[in-house]
Amino acid sequence: MSEQQLDLRAEEQARQPASIGDYFKNIWDAVTTTVAGMKITGRYFLQKPITVQYPDEQMPIPERYRGIHYLEQDKCIECNACARACPIDCIEMEAVRHGKELEWIKFTIDYQKCMFCELCVYPCPADCIHMGTEFAFVTEDRSEFNLDLLSYKGMSRDARIRMKEAAEKKAAKEAAKKAKAKAEAEKKAAEGGDTPSEDGGEEGTDA
Amino acid sequence: MPEVTASAKKFFPEPRILPGGEREFMMDVATSDLEVSMGPQHPATHGVMQVLLRADGEMVTAAQPHLGFLHRCAEKIGENVEWLQYLPYTDRYDYLAAMNNNLGYSMAVEALLQVEIPRRAQLIRMICVELNRIASHLVAFGTYGLDLGAFTPFLYAFREREWLLMIFEKICGARLTYSYLRIGGVFNDAPPGWLQEVEHFCDVFEEKWKEYYDLLMVNKIFVERTARVGVITKEQALDFGLTGPMLRGSGVDFDLRRDMPYLLYRQAFEDGAFEVPLGRGEKGELGDCWDRIYVRVKEMMEALGIVRWCLGCIEEGPVLGEVGKTLKVPPGEAYVAIENPRGELGHYVLSDGGKGSSRCRVRGPSFCNLAIIEDIMPGTLLADAVAIIGSTDVVIGETDR
Amino acid sequence: MIGLQESPEVAAAAAAPIAGGGNWTLHFLQGITPEAVPGWILPIVTASISVGVVIAMISVIAMLSVWLERKVSGHIQCRYGPMYAGGWHGWAQTIADGVKLLTKEDMVPSGADKPLFMLAPAIVLGAIFGAFVAMPLAPDYFFADINLGVFFILGMSSLTTIGVVMSGWASNSKWSLYGAMREAAQVVAYEIPLGISLMVALICAGTFNLIDASEAQRDFWGMGWFIFKNPFVIPAVVLFFVATLAETKRAPFDLPEAESELVAGFLTEYSGIRWSFFFMEEYAAMFLMSLVMAVFFFGGFESPVTYLAAESMGLGYDHLVTNLLGAVTLIVKSMMGVLLMMWIRWTLPRVRIDQVMTMGYKYLTPLALVCVLGAALWEAGKQAIL
Repeated sequence: MSEQQLDLRAEEQARQPASIGDYFKNIWDAVTTTVAGMKITGRYFLQKPITVQYPDEQMPIPERYRGIHYLEQDKCIECNACARACPIDCIEMEAVRHGKELEWIKFTIDYQKCMFCELCVYPCPADCIHMGTEFAFVTEDRSEFNLDLLSYKGMSRDARIRMKEAAEKKAAKEAAKKAKAKAEAEKKAAEGGDTPSEDGGEEGTDA
Repeated sequence: MPEVTASAKKFFPEPRILPGGEREFMMDVATSDLEVSMGPQHPATHGVMQVLLRADGEMVTAAQPHLGFLHRCAEKIGENVEWLQYLPYTDRYDYLAAMNNNLGYSMAVEALLQVEIPRRAQLIRMICVELNRIASHLVAFGTYGLDLGAFTPFLYAFREREWLLMIFEKICGARLTYSYLRIGGVFNDAPPGWLQEVEHFCDVFEEKWKEYYDLLMVNKIFVERTARVGVITKEQALDFGLTGPMLRGSGVDFDLRRDMPYLLYRQAFEDGAFEVPLGRGEKGELGDCWDRIYVRVKEMMEALGIVRWCLGCIEEGPVLGEVGKTLKVPPGEAYVAIENPRGELGHYVLSDGGKGSSRCRVRGPSFCNLAIIEDIMPGTLLADAVAIIGSTDVVIGETDR
Repeated sequence: MIGLQESPEVAAAAAAPIAGGGNWTLHFLQGITPEAVPGWILPIVTASISVGVVIAMISVIAMLSVWLERKVSGHIQCRYGPMYAGGWHGWAQTIADGVKLLTKEDMVPSGADKPLFMLAPAIVLGAIFGAFVAMPLAPDYFFADINLGVFFILGMSSLTTIGVVMSGWASNSKWSLYGAMREAAQVVAYEIPLGISLMVALICAGTFNLIDASEAQRDFWGMGWFIFKNPFVIPAVVLFFVATLAETKRAPFDLPEAESELVAGFLTEYSGIRWSFFFMEEYAAMFLMSLVMAVFFFGGFESPVTYLAAESMGLGYDHLVTNLLGAVTLIVKSMMGVLLMMWIRWTLPRVRIDQVMTMGYKYLTPLALVCVLGAALWEAGKQAIL
């Protein structure tokens, strides 16, 4: 028997209940604390659970949540401040400058590396990169993790310009139509509804 | 006694005479100690740590911890990235108390920068740090119950912790690795309603605390498992350089928040917002496992006191000091120690005027606290080994970095 | 049993010949078999049917208990349990688990003692199956009318320990060995208080036979339970319950099995259907011990409901309705005991092995002896006075 074992034996002896009072106190303590514990667990047994059945229900996500990024492409000036700020260098961007306009080729973030630290958001001078509330990212192909944040991905610059012009033209046409309808209605109200205006409505051609 | 032949003597050694003069019992049974590895994968070592045990039957005769399974070269990375870029790495060593790690690093760099932190930032920092202390101690309490076989307090602790993580999510967007306490202050101001929610949490948590106490802490079986087990005396604690609840559980009255104050803790202590709980040997000997877990559970209540004090004197103002977007840190060195839930977390930062630090050394409390298990484990039973490791509350991310 | 007067029903049942008595299935078959069939086939057929019913019962009980345990533990922990398999609260979860376990690879670790490794779960489950044979379900529905009923049950359920120790040794793993050794020590320590506290009820019952013991609690409109007969029976119930927890390796005495300390105890190397045998045994043993507790302390299959059917409505104790009500009563009482065991499991931490021994030998055994002495003196005193 080693010294330690003998010391342990001595300790064991010292640990015995010193009196018959200790014996009954132990029994009483065991029973009362067990019953107290069971009361607590019993109470929770009868309450409604607090968990939600994901994915059928989801917990609300606060707006500051650091999820998958989204880029406001029109504001971005390709200054690379976010790429420099990233501790892991997972942002890559490429664009061609045509004077003041940018033709975007790619803006990818490698989500295999990204640690969602939000250090890229702060230094942006144009305030165009943000972190969204999306967090579930499941793919079956590793290359999809290099997520391209461009919304006009794959479109050439000319096509984009044309699309923008067409959209502007359409918006202008809608505005003109509304203004005309409003003018007609005012005229009708002023004249008391004598002349029914034939509002043919110009059919503008799509450019 | 029958004659023991020469060939048999090889297998049956001579009986030893014990110090009392009597013969050793069962002297003809030669047993060797069993070498058991509480391996890197184990349900009860808090992380990937290996403890090699030598056990004679149920009793442990030697123990040796092996670390390094979770080493991620954090300090080396600190030399190669910029000042602000290192902040997310600090989150990841003690991932249960990430706000404290951020605070330590930020304060070390701020000591070099000599920058003034606005008062609102300091108060929000204190609130976040103390809430994180509660969250970390909830994990310690819950997993300690789990190690000892009580499955339910773990779930109850995590129910409160979930609320805390949602509170943190609302202010900084992340639940575990916050990177929120930046150099110069905090990153974002609190959103509207956040302070009210923190106050609501404090009110509800006080009742739940009583439940934890009744369910686990005073439970006779838990007391029997942890009282008089793994006793660390005052002298041992000071010799081994233990800090945090391990030190206070042995009765040594030392807490960095009160004795070497930072942020606004001196004012809080003078206003009576908190006290430093000490182990008192209530249920057994002074310095046993029960004392240590009791100190942690009591610290949760004291942290609530600090949070309420901060909520009481919070005022409007800026939350980030004048540091500018690119940090220009003058050359120099700084060591700042703060009170992590596990002990004294120290950051030593050496700057040579460049874009990042040229050395960032971290004094991790778990690493230093782990040294004592080699000394106190021999002589205990195998089941107690688990109780002792649980009471040290190690986080291997911090031990290995 | 000196001076103990048996109630008339007990005396009549004990005096009835076994061939003329026998359970409901035997009566039913005797009624419907044609004359040409020789008489000796009937008991064999009855026995086979009983064995089939026992196996079915154990399987269903184990399945139900596993599901119930998961739901109870879930709700105690503020969460739902299984919710997906089968639709309503995941009732088919255990069936799904069973199918999964059946299709797993049958692995025997290298270096393990193969015959012992494979034999251990069989012994464990076989012993419990055997113990179920002495179980009564109703006054007239039982599997075997064994005069030494509870003695037989205790003996058979102790056989499971052999299987556990065998599995610990045969697994060729240090952790399994630890678990098996602890199990052996624990079971031996708690057999004594189990038997002695049961003896308190036996003093009131006057017989080892489970059916007669239940029938003896028929007075007072079916509420003449033994727990009301004698003030020493109430502490005896508590002691019996604690000893049961230790016998069936349930928390807080679950060192052998669910050791989150040292991996998984004696079950470490078992997977697939062999593992599920051990767990079926655990839940079957829980049910069995609850049943013994219900029969000897809480009235067995007697309750005001059965009294109503038998006496007030005049159906008698042979009628199908009375038997069904009795069976339902007994099963409900046993499941209450099982639920109580589950409730305790999820509340208390685990006891260390030396404290288990201390509790068994130094606390439970002396208290059980005191209860027996007190109960015997009480009964003797009652006889002397009345």
